[in-house]
Amino acid sequence: MNLLGHDLYAPVSFLAQEVGDMVPKIMKQGRLAPWLYLLPAFIMMSVFIIYPTIGTLRLSFMDNTGTNSAASTCVAGQACWGVFENYRYALTNIDMLHALRNNALWLLLMVPGTIAGGLFFALLADRVPYEKLAKSIIFMPVAISFIGAGIIWRFVYDFQSGGGAQIGILNGIITALGGKPVTWLSDPAISNFSLMVVGVWLWAGFCMTMLSAAIKGVSTEILEAARVDGANEWHVFWQIMFPTILPSVVVVTTTLSIIILKIFDVVYVMTGGNYGTEVIANRMFNLIVTNTGRSTALAVILILLTIPIMIFNIKRFKSEEAAR
Amino acid sequence: MRTMNTKYIKLFGLLVIAAMLIASCGQAATTVAPTAAPTEAATVAPTEAATTAPAAPAIDCMSAKSGDTLTVVYQWSGSEEESFNTILKPFEDACGVTVTAQSTRDDAVLDTMVKSTPPDVLFWPNLSPLKLYSDKLLALDTVSANKDNYASYWIDMGSAGGKWLAIPVKADVKSIIWYSPTQFAAFGYTVPTTFDELKTLVDKMVADGNVPWSMGFNNGGSADGWTGTDFVQDILLATQGPEYVNNIINGTVSYSDAGVVDAYTTYKMWASDAKYTVGGADGTVNTKFLDAIYKVFSNPAEAMMVKQSGFAGGSVAGQFPSLKYGTDYDFFEFPGVKGLQGGADFMFAFSDKPAAQALIGYLTGTVGGQNWAKANFGISPNKNADGNYTDPQSIKLSSILSKAAGFTFDIGDAIGAPFNNAEFKGIVDVVQGADIKATLTTIAVAQAESLK
Repeated sequence: MNLLGHDLYAPVSFLAQEVGDMVPKIMKQGRLAPWLYLLPAFIMMSVFIIYPTIGTLRLSFMDNTGTNSAASTCVAGQACWGVFENYRYALTNIDMLHALRNNALWLLLMVPGTIAGGLFFALLADRVPYEKLAKSIIFMPVAISFIGAGIIWRFVYDFQSGGGAQIGILNGIITALGGKPVTWLSDPAISNFSLMVVGVWLWAGFCMTMLSAAIKGVSTEILEAARVDGANEWHVFWQIMFPTILPSVVVVTTTLSIIILKIFDVVYVMTGGNYGTEVIANRMFNLIVTNTGRSTALAVILILLTIPIMIFNIKRFKSEEAAR
Repeated sequence: MRTMNTKYIKLFGLLVIAAMLIASCGQAATTVAPTAAPTEAATVAPTEAATTAPAAPAIDCMSAKSGDTLTVVYQWSGSEEESFNTILKPFEDACGVTVTAQSTRDDAVLDTMVKSTPPDVLFWPNLSPLKLYSDKLLALDTVSANKDNYASYWIDMGSAGGKWLAIPVKADVKSIIWYSPTQFAAFGYTVPTTFDELKTLVDKMVADGNVPWSMGFNNGGSADGWTGTDFVQDILLATQGPEYVNNIINGTVSYSDAGVVDAYTTYKMWASDAKYTVGGADGTVNTKFLDAIYKVFSNPAEAMMVKQSGFAGGSVAGQFPSLKYGTDYDFFEFPGVKGLQGGADFMFAFSDKPAAQALIGYLTGTVGGQNWAKANFGISPNKNADGNYTDPQSIKLSSILSKAAGFTFDIGDAIGAPFNNAEFKGIVDVVQGADIKATLTTIAVAQAESLK
């Protein structure tokens, strides 16, 4: 097997030698060497990230089959954005407007909801003797796949018409209390919120774990000092604890925002995007078979929406590193 | 270096195992039929030939020779695949042809195959190959298919550019309504034969305090609403006829046409009012389509009728094993339809080699049609199938199909996306109270876009 090892490393050492001969002896590594170290990672990135991204970008300017320019799909006498025709669809089609609105709703309601829930549980768990047990229970949904969660919650939201007994726990409770069963998933006025509850249920445990670790890191001396000085718990939390754990809250917020922008599974399993619950990723999935151009345009839009959050994340990470 | 090398050995070993797995899977998928065929041919053929040969007409092997091979692709799997194999077996036995089958439901897999090594014969549940592979498909009259065994509308349906490229081997009828003969007898209702009689019957049931319809859109999220669009299409077939429906499919009639508006108006009245359907609009939208079937046959029954395809019989039998077909549950043709709605599996030919011609000749011929019926595998549009079914539901469906004046596909399936998505969403919106004309205009836009 020496042979294998030899064969693998020979070209690299040979090249390094070559380069080494060309530059002053004091810089043994040469300018090319770092690039050579990067090469394996770069190849992987090229094959699995860069190439598909460029391909997606290219397809987003093509028609439904990915062969002609998107401009060819323009209908005479109707609005047309030329090669940006797929983007016109993405930004003006009524279904897409609903999807964009719903993605914004998810972002605005579910992210704060999940963080508030996670923080609430983390604070409560911090103060009880059976903390581990409580946290394990809250964390459990994280282990469940989105698909599984969707199926579980379809039972929770189940609605039976006519004389059928309500087997869904929510409608079971409502009818037991003498109320009328609610169509949780098919009523456009509430269906989005029904789905978001599932999202919160899934991710609150994740937030709780992250924030709980941060809370544990808050120095007890400061907390005690504040309490001795007469601060009530409300003030202790908002004036001391929250500013201390803020970096963790920001991390959780950005991570969740990226996850939520891509929300798909819950919607796909529970309503299929019907009843006013359409989201971008579900639309993208539905279009991929029949209209590559539009589908990839949506993918590009999702990437564009995600990039600022990622840049923010990286910047914050760098400044944190610098502060250390 | 040593640890490095052992790692490579392990990695290499894993790769080898993975490669072997992939290879064996590929192998398994393509050689299912041959492994089964030779043993069956060797053990079963002699005895069967001895007992049944005198009665059954001979299978014409044409110029196919024993030992010839044939590749076919279809979507059937499980019990459907078994049924198809029982139909193929007499042919394989008689001609000594080995049929290698591959089952896939994936359009992309088919596409890759057709562009590299197309199967000799393809069975596909829609006519999309007609458009996609028109230059690769062979005209069926040049590969020994028997045109005379089929109603002319089948030939028209499978023709493109003046060439006859597809023929259905199996059809499923959707234009039927399930009911309980016992319930009908108890209330003195008779099976309606015209659309007006159906409307009168529905109103009579409401007047009697009975709920006429059980409806359920819930398909688990995706494609919610297909039971509704099926219903509307049957109304269209009764009020406008099959040509009108086919014109919607080819785009000459807009989906927002007055005839469609009328059909939706009738449907909306039935589907969104608790007097007409179980639970009113909420019931229609939320009930799972299988539960909608059960509601007609549960005790006490919640509704009198449910419009659903042939599969409902099996669902009822599974849910209520004590109920008997013919007395406790039965079906009638959607009253007044001037043509049927349904699905069909089509046969396409990519090769004119002797074995392929022999198979096509067999399936479109007398013996093939008879054997298809004996297998009770859907309904065969082949005229020779009549009288050979053993299952009472198949016998009834086949009599409905054989006197049909036309046959239309599900409009949504035939036109495809984005029309079908708009159609499903539209009917849900209409039942939930949306304006019919405005909704249909939106769907018509998708119709035009899909047909572009």
